[in-house]
Amino acid sequence: MKRSHHAEKSTGKGDPQCFKGEAGPAKFKVGDRVRIKNLPDIFYTRCQVYTRGAEGTVAVVTHESPAPEDEAWDNTDKPEWFYIVRFKQKDLWSDYPSAYPNDSVQTEFSERWLEKA
Amino acid sequence: MSSSSRENVMRHIDLVGQLQPALHRPQHAPYPDAIDHALFRAYMRTSHDVGGEPDIPIRWEEKQEEQWEVNTYVTCECLAWRGIWNAEERRRRQNVDLGQTQYLGLPYYGRWLLSAARIMVDKQHVTLTELINKIEEVKKRHEKKSPR
Repeated sequence: MKRSHHAEKSTGKGDPQCFKGEAGPAKFKVGDRVRIKNLPDIFYTRCQVYTRGAEGTVAVVTHESPAPEDEAWDNTDKPEWFYIVRFKQKDLWSDYPSAYPNDSVQTEFSERWLEKA
Repeated sequence: MSSSSRENVMRHIDLVGQLQPALHRPQHAPYPDAIDHALFRAYMRTSHDVGGEPDIPIRWEEKQEEQWEVNTYVTCECLAWRGIWNAEERRRRQNVDLGQTQYLGLPYYGRWLLSAARIMVDKQHVTLTELINKIEEVKKRHEKKSPR
C-alpha cells in the first residue's frame, strides 16, 4: 500500500519536528501585538471565528508545520510558523464581566492568520 | 479591522447558533436570492467551530471508554501509521466533512469510525460494494450468534 508523502517524511522524526527549518524566518516574536485576519472560512480551518478581527499578544512562537488548511489535504510544501496568541477575554466578548479585567484565553494560529496590530 | 467588522463577527456567531439541525422540519431548497452574504457564510461555517455560540449547558458525565471506542482509536492510528491519512485530514473528515447534522448528532467515536470507513472508500482501498457486503455479512453472523 502506498504511504502518503507526509507519513514518509515524519517517520523516525515525528511531526511537526520533520518540518523544522522549512518555514524561513518567523514574522512575529513574543510580545508582538497582532490582529486576527478575517479570511474566508470554507471547507476547513482551525482559526476560531470568535477571534477574527480581535487583537492579542504573541505568547509563544511554537513550531513550524503546514497550516491546517493545507495539511488537511496532505499538502506539506509550505510550512508556516505557529504562534500561541493571548487575548484578554474583554477583547473577545463585549459583555464579559468587568469584575475580571485580567482574564485571558490563549489559542494557536498559523502565521497566515496574523497581521501586525 | 474596524469595530463594525467585529460586530459582524458576533452577528455571524449568533446566526450560526440558529442553524442547529431541526428534526422533522423540512428545509426547502431556497432560490438563490434567499441567501444573502451573512446566511451564506453561516452555512459555510465549519461545523466544529462552535466557540461563542449561544447555547444551553450540557450535562457532564464521567465515562470509561468502551472497547469498540478503543478499537476505533487504534484503527485510526494504524491508518495514519500506514500513511492513509494524517491527523489533520482525519480531523477534517470527522469534524467538518460529515456536516453539521452528523457532527452534532453522533457520538464522538461514532464519527471517528465513520470517517475511517469513509477514507478507505474515498482512497479506493475498499469499494463501497465490498464494505456494504461485509457489514451485511457481519450483521447476519451476529444475529445468528446473539438473536434479539
